[in-house]
Amino acid sequence: MLPAAGCRKRGVMRKAVDRALMLYCAGSAALALAVMGGILLVILGRGLPTFDWSFIGSATGATLGSGGVRYQLLGTLVLVLTTFVIAAPLALGWALMQTIYLPDPRWRWPLRRVLYLLNGVPSILFGIFGLILFVKYLGWGKSWLAGGILLALMILPTVTIAWVERIEALPQGYLRAAASLGLSRGQIVWSVIVPQTWGGGVSGALLGLARAAGETAPIMFTAAVFSGVTLPDGVRQSPVLALPYHIFVLAQDSFDPAAGAHLWAAAFVLLTLVLALSLLALPLRLRAGEEATHG
Amino acid sequence: MKGTWIRWASYGATAVALVFVGALVGSLAWESLPVWRQEGLSYLTGKTWHYRGALFGALPMIYGSAVVAFIALLLAAPLGLGAALFSAEYVPGRWRWAVKVPIELLAGVPSVVYGLLGLLLLRGWIYRLLEPFDPLSGDTLLTGGVLLAVMILPTVMTLADDALRGVGASQRRAARGLGLTRAESIWRVSLPQAAPGLAAALLLGFGRALGETIAVFLVVGRQDNQWPASVFSPRAWLEAGQTLTSKLGGSETFLAYGDPLHWGAIVGLGLILLILVGGLTGVAGRWLPQARRHA
Repeated sequence: MLPAAGCRKRGVMRKAVDRALMLYCAGSAALALAVMGGILLVILGRGLPTFDWSFIGSATGATLGSGGVRYQLLGTLVLVLTTFVIAAPLALGWALMQTIYLPDPRWRWPLRRVLYLLNGVPSILFGIFGLILFVKYLGWGKSWLAGGILLALMILPTVTIAWVERIEALPQGYLRAAASLGLSRGQIVWSVIVPQTWGGGVSGALLGLARAAGETAPIMFTAAVFSGVTLPDGVRQSPVLALPYHIFVLAQDSFDPAAGAHLWAAAFVLLTLVLALSLLALPLRLRAGEEATHG
Repeated sequence: MKGTWIRWASYGATAVALVFVGALVGSLAWESLPVWRQEGLSYLTGKTWHYRGALFGALPMIYGSAVVAFIALLLAAPLGLGAALFSAEYVPGRWRWAVKVPIELLAGVPSVVYGLLGLLLLRGWIYRLLEPFDPLSGDTLLTGGVLLAVMILPTVMTLADDALRGVGASQRRAARGLGLTRAESIWRVSLPQAAPGLAAALLLGFGRALGETIAVFLVVGRQDNQWPASVFSPRAWLEAGQTLTSKLGGSETFLAYGDPLHWGAIVGLGLILLILVGGLTGVAGRWLPQARRHA
């Protein structure tokens, strides 16, 4: 009789452990989601009351917390566009190099490692590097172009890896069919690989740009100023205003209640811009996860 | 010939990107040479940073960075692993997006927005929480750590989720078929197989926390030369501190610009950070499943 009783007891125990783990995991997930929801609600709740369309349409006023963020938003868009224009061709070049052109496949792995290491570089180091290269050695002062180059370098791994994964996932049949039609390698790249995979590159770029749009550290020494400029006209000594930097500087004065409302509205605008970019890129991220199961 | 043109463009793009990566690492090493010459190893072990007296000891900042990242991991690890287990083991595939999408979006929130939330909300909460200990303000290492925990939660969760889903479904089914409860199959099958990926998720989360600048800058207090009576005593967590990144992001970076030794000391902090984070990324990279290493 005893063993049976022991078994039953163990069965109860096993079930209890099973239950407890499930509750723990569900609780963790719920808490993580609640944090996300809480952040959104706070920004919406505090930003939306002060936000109206004139907030993004008008320039910042002379007194603290007055006016809108027109030029900060435009400056951020300038930076994001520059970043895209620089990062996209570099990423395509690197992705083609890594998948197609590399003379010796043994070099693939080091190239990948460089990308992963670059991806891990903290964003402040791009700022310090930019200060050394563009401000100290090239004498550009603060410049939108320096900011664009640094942000492009920062998001290069994201864009490149997205593109490489898409190229590697290309059905072999496509390549064989193209080769059997007598296409040269250059023609295959141009008429099969690039058109079939540009979606991956664009989604990767959107994801990277979402990050670039919200970054403060790489641009605070190299590209952004707090006030006194509108849109840049030139390269040297032509800084821009930028939303994240604007928020960063004002936040340090946040004890002034007049700054508060303006700050939350600016954070709301920035968050909307960044989340819109990430949402556009979302299909890519989810698919990358799926491939992990089936691949 | 179009084909060769693309090929050379691809070589060129890769070369340009590689040169920038090399310049980033090289310039941090080169520009920090004066401080290594002057201080030698005592740059790493010195506990005093007093630039007017040309004393440069980075240890308190290394300590600050390690503490905030450790607190972040302490909070984010149980939560992130729990949430990842929930998403990978309990939620049916059709509903997984309901957990994944918000977490991916959480990853996209700019650090300056986290900083603002930390400054205007979290700091006050921490102050009230610590009132029995009579804190000087809400700007503490603990505040920085808690804020970082929220920021690295998506990294930990996404990578852990990928690692868990890399475990074959057939093995999971076999375990259940043998009569193991869900908890037992997680403990006996999923966790052991996913262990390297899970460890990598934690390491990369830690590395991300080490490198985060803007949010930490706003809440950590930026108090120089904070060295605890005992390294393992958490009492110092409740006081203001300075991290490698909050020093780099501060006004001293501009101040140091003209003086080679002071400038070298600032850039040297960047080099230390790069080596720490690069090492972590390098180790973690070996353990990650192939499918996705760039979250």
